[in-house]
Formats: sequence, structure tokens, C-alpha cells
Amino acid sequence: MVDIATIAFYLGVIAYSAAATLFFLDFARRDGGSSLTQWAPRLLAIGGALHAAHVLTASMLSRVCPIDSLHFALSFTALIAVGAYLALRKRARLFALGAFIAPIALLFLVGAQFVGQGSEPVQGVSHTLLIFHIAANVLGMGLFLIAGASGSVYLVQDRRLRTKKRVASLGSRLPPLDALDQATHRLLLAGFPLLTFGVITGAVFSRHLTTVVGSADFLRSFLGYATWVMLAAVLLLRKTAGFRGRKVAYGTIVGVVCMLLVMLLYVVRSSGAGGSL
Amino acid sequence: MIVVVGLSHRTAPIAVREKLVLDAEGVPDFLRALVQRPEVGEALLVSTCNRVELVAAARAGADLTRVAKVCVEALAANAPDIAPHLYSHTGGAAVRHLFRVAASLDSMVLGEPQILGQVKDAYELARLAGTVGSVLHRTLPRAIRAAKRVRTETAIGSGQVSVPSIAVDLTKQIFGDLTGHVSLLVGSGEMAESVARLLKAAGATILVVGRTLSKAEALANVVGGTARPWTALAQSITDADVVVTSTSAPHYVVDYDMVTAARRARRGRNQFFIDLAVPRDVDPRIEELDGEFLYNIDDLSKVVAETLSSRSREAASAEAIVGREAEGYDRWADAEQATPTIVALRARISASLEEELARSFRGKLKHLTGEDRAALSKMLESSVNRILHQPTIRLRQAALERASDTLSLEQLSLAISELFAFDAEAEAASATENAAPSLDSEACVTSDDTSQLPPRARVVASRH
Repeated sequence: MVDIATIAFYLGVIAYSAAATLFFLDFARRDGGSSLTQWAPRLLAIGGALHAAHVLTASMLSRVCPIDSLHFALSFTALIAVGAYLALRKRARLFALGAFIAPIALLFLVGAQFVGQGSEPVQGVSHTLLIFHIAANVLGMGLFLIAGASGSVYLVQDRRLRTKKRVASLGSRLPPLDALDQATHRLLLAGFPLLTFGVITGAVFSRHLTTVVGSADFLRSFLGYATWVMLAAVLLLRKTAGFRGRKVAYGTIVGVVCMLLVMLLYVVRSSGAGGSL
Repeated sequence: MIVVVGLSHRTAPIAVREKLVLDAEGVPDFLRALVQRPEVGEALLVSTCNRVELVAAARAGADLTRVAKVCVEALAANAPDIAPHLYSHTGGAAVRHLFRVAASLDSMVLGEPQILGQVKDAYELARLAGTVGSVLHRTLPRAIRAAKRVRTETAIGSGQVSVPSIAVDLTKQIFGDLTGHVSLLVGSGEMAESVARLLKAAGATILVVGRTLSKAEALANVVGGTARPWTALAQSITDADVVVTSTSAPHYVVDYDMVTAARRARRGRNQFFIDLAVPRDVDPRIEELDGEFLYNIDDLSKVVAETLSSRSREAASAEAIVGREAEGYDRWADAEQATPTIVALRARISASLEEELARSFRGKLKHLTGEDRAALSKMLESSVNRILHQPTIRLRQAALERASDTLSLEQLSLAISELFAFDAEAEAASATENAAPSLDSEACVTSDDTSQLPPRARVVASRH
């Protein structure tokens, strides 16, 4: 079992690395057609399958429910992002987003190895509710990662069309602006209820914490609320004031950066103190 | 080897080229008549609006210059005044020319994709007419392969090269699928009409607004759209995702305030303005607005120039690929010079062994079952392959290397002919008539006289 987990991990790293490289080469090439476009998502899917195999076998080894530790939560976030990208890439014409998703998945797969695996029980909190809290956050983060990537590509495409440079050579490889805008919006819509649930349950759990609340915890809470407020504002202003395009992209990116900072603070805290969500 | 005779946009103006137009129905008869000539073994005709080229393979022993002359006569038969515009390439130069044509390196618009399909069509037409033999069956697939390599390994075919196609390409980069999107055509003009047609073909709904409603209606009929009066311009801009302007107005027809108002009404949805007019129709300040994109005729022309420049840069890489493919063809053609000797030698040995075997089957080996006989024949066949393996390799090496310190192909062929007492060319011609285009087919031995050429020698050849 140890061997399977280790082999799946290393093969997953190789598949993600190869997919990231092919996506990048596909993005950077000068000509119009390439077989790389076909192989990169296949390798990403293989990487995702190996990643999932690693998570399952490793969790069986450590006898920990995968959703119950930060180690696996990080891995699952990347898996959700990979799965959502593969599901959406053809329908929403988001091919070029692979150049963002594959390195993120690789980073999360490898990065999770450096995070503590233990779970620190929170007194007075239902374990089931805690699992729902973590699951909602993980799913939401996975969707927001793609929304952030989609917003970033929107800005690149928008700038290219405005500056009118490399319009002919790069055009066919980047998704259309409308497709990116739609994808960002739909991913935010899908992830926002999960984020809201995570924020509310997180607020409830924080009341039961017996440990002293430090500045890092305060900052984490602040950034968590800031993520929610920013993404809520993006969705609300789109509905009421017709916010689209660049404004939505910038708002989404700011929200996703806040979310990543929250994750980073979790990682820092758990690395220093045994690790928990 | 082959010859290429013809004319193209490089050697003949359109007034000359149009005299040489052959309709597709007449081409098979033309080609069949040509291969009836004693010099021409195979032929095909590539006919496009920019070129007419006859590709022909010489019969065994025919002089290539003579074949080229026959082709010139055939092409100029009905239009003698085109003769000064005809060019001809023979041998390796003809192969390189054909490869360059298929790869679109000789096209008027470098990298255009149609020529490869036209070469394929010409090949298919000639194949159906029965005027393609072993030489062109080997040459055309190699030309097509070279062209495909050029298209996949270089950027020579990337990007659009006309203003209307660039405009539609940009529209797709903003909106993706144009189905359900509304395009507005303001004014008229040939280029604007082309853009509107392409947008319509891509699935967009077309609106036409003109100062004169009757003209707008006429244009709407042409492009498959709906006409609106000039007074509906502001509302039409609000309705449209793509606005194509091409009026002769001396001032901006679409001003900043008009677009700002439309943007509010459109709730920030992206909008693309294609300004084809000089002086410009659209206020350039609208580019500052989020979600508003504007390309004027200069911007579009720069994209065309960028594409063409990019294609020209790729031409050197494409030429290198064509050069390598042509060298590969030359090597194959050189190696093929050893084929008559190899085929004749194989036929002679196979015939002798089979004759002996047939005699044994009638005598000492009469008791063998059909299965045993087949096994014995198979064993002899394998033995022939094994015996001839090294001589075959040596002959092909001699054909390819032509080194001064080793025996040449001619010397080796002569020695074999002397030793086995046959005329390699004649015997191979007899054998390949039954075996072409592949050497892997079989014929039967009917002659008992080993000093004479068997009319139909059994050929058991293998590729080495």
C-alpha cells in the first residue's frame, strides 16, 4: 500500500509536470495547430487520477478520513480544480486555462506533502458539521481557483486585443472573452454558496475555540470575510449594475488572492503546530 | 524520373493563364491521350486559377528533355501563344518544384491551404483516368507528405491574410460562437459587404443601416440581413454586438456619447467596432471604455502585414523541409536504379529453382502431399530471399553511394548480367510489367530454356 501511494504520487507529479509543460508549449508556440493541444489535457486527467489514487491510498494508510486533514484538503482542492477544468474545457472553450491549472495542481500535490496531517479536534463541535465545513470550503476553493485563472486569462486576452499586438499569432489559442467572462461568472455562482456555508460554519466554530486567538487567526478570519465580501460584491454588481469584463476579472482575482492567503495562513499555522483545519 | 511543364502566376499574366483553362471533364481524355505517346509513361495535371502544370513520368529509356517537349506541345496545342510563358523542370528540379508547389511555397499567397487539396484532387483525377503508374504513385504521396510536414511543423499557414477574414477572426476572439449575435452594417462598400457575408456565414444576424433606405434594403438582400432606416442608427448600435462601418461621411458617424449610451443599455456586454472607412466613422475615444473594442482599417491592415511577415519568416524553415524531403526522394530514386538488376536476378534464380522443383515433383518427390509440396516451395522461396539479401543490399548501396573506390552500380549490374547471362533492363521490364508497382507479386515460369528470358518469370521479391 505504501508503495502504491508513493508510486501514484511520483507518477502524478510527472503527469502534472508533463501536462503543465505541454500546456505552456502549446500556449507559446507560433503556429496554428499542434498535437500538444490533445495530449496536455489527457496528461492532466491522468495526473488527476494518480493524484486521487495517492490521496485515497495515503488516507487508508494513515487511517484518516481524507477530508479531515489539511494535507488532504489541499490535495482535494487541486483535484476539484482539475476535475472542473476538464469538465468545462470543451463546453466553455477554456483550453488555454490548462496552462494555469496544471501548475496549480502540481503545486498543491507537492505542497501538501510539507503540511502536517494531524487533525486537532475542536471541543463542542459536531464532527459531521466540521466535515461539511471543510468539504464546502474545499469544493469552493477548487471552483474559485479556476474562476481566478479564467479572470487572469480574460485580462491577458483583453489587453492583447486592446494593444493590437500578436493578435494574429496568439488569437486562436486563447479562449474568447465572452467565454471567459461567462465561465468566471458561473464558477463564482457555483462556489459562492459553498463559501457562504464555510464562512458561516467557520464563524460558529470559532465561538467554541478554547485556544487564545492570535493575530494570525484574526488576519485569517479577516481575509476569509474579505473573500466573501469581494466575491459577493462582484456577483451583486454584475446583477445590478452590469459589471462585466475587466471589473469582474479584477474583483475575482482579488477575492481568489484573499482565499489563497487564508489557505497559506492555515498551512503556516498547521506546519508550526501539528496541522488542522 | 519526372518532368513538370506549365505556367503560373510567376510566368504568365491572367490574360495568358485563362487561355489554358481545361475543364475537369476534359482532363482524363487529355491525360490518356498524352500517355499514348511513346515517351510519356504517366501524367497528371494540376490546374488552379494561378497555375496549370503537367507532371509526367518518362517511359523506360525515354529522354526527359524529349518528354518535356512532348508536354509543351500538348499544352500549347490549342493555344500556341502560351508557349513562351511555359517553363519546364526535369529530374530532381522537377521533384523539388512539385514539392514546393504542394507545400504552397510557390503560391501567390504564401502558405495558402487550397493548393494541397488541388494537388490531391489532380492526383486522384489522374489515378481514376488510369494515367498514374509506379513513379507518380511514389512521387505524389511524397509531395503531399512534404506539404503536410510544412503545414504542421512551421507557421506558414497560420493567421488570416485578408482584412475581412481578420475582422471576423477578431470577432470570434471576442464572442466565440457568433450564433445569436447581432452584427450591424453601417454604410456600404465591397469590403464591408465581405465582412458582413463572413459574419452571416459564421451564424450572426445581420442588420443594415444606410442613409438611403432603398440602398440599405438592397444591401440587406445581398448579405441576407434586415434593413433599418438611418434614424434607427442609435438603437441599432445598442442592439448590435459587432458594428461594421463603411460610410463616406467626412465626420464620425458613431460618436462617443452614442456608444456610452449604448453601453449603458447593453449592461456592459462586449461590443466590437470594425471601422473600414477613411476618413474614420467611429470616434477613437470609445476604445477607452471597458468592453468596447475598435479596429480601424489601419489596425486590420497591420494584422494582415503581421501574418504575412510571419509567414515569410517561416518560408525558410518550410524550404528546408521541402529540401530534405526532396533529398529523400532522390535517394529513393537512386536506389530504384538498382531495381531492374535485383528483379531480374531474383526472377532468374526463382525460375531455375522452381523449374527444378517442378521436375522433382514429377519424379523422385512424386509421393509428397500437397501440404509438403507447399512447405518445400515456401522453403525455396525463403532460400532465395536469404541468398539474395546481401547482393540486394550491395546493389542498393552502390546505387546510393557512387563511391570511386568501390565497384559502381553499372559495373555490378554488368557483372551479374554476364554471370547469369541476361539483359537486366529487358528482363526486369518483363518482370515488373507483372509486378508493378510493387515488387512483391508473383508470376509463373513457363519456359524450360534457362538461356532464354522466361516470358513471365516468377518474382519473389522482398524489401530490404
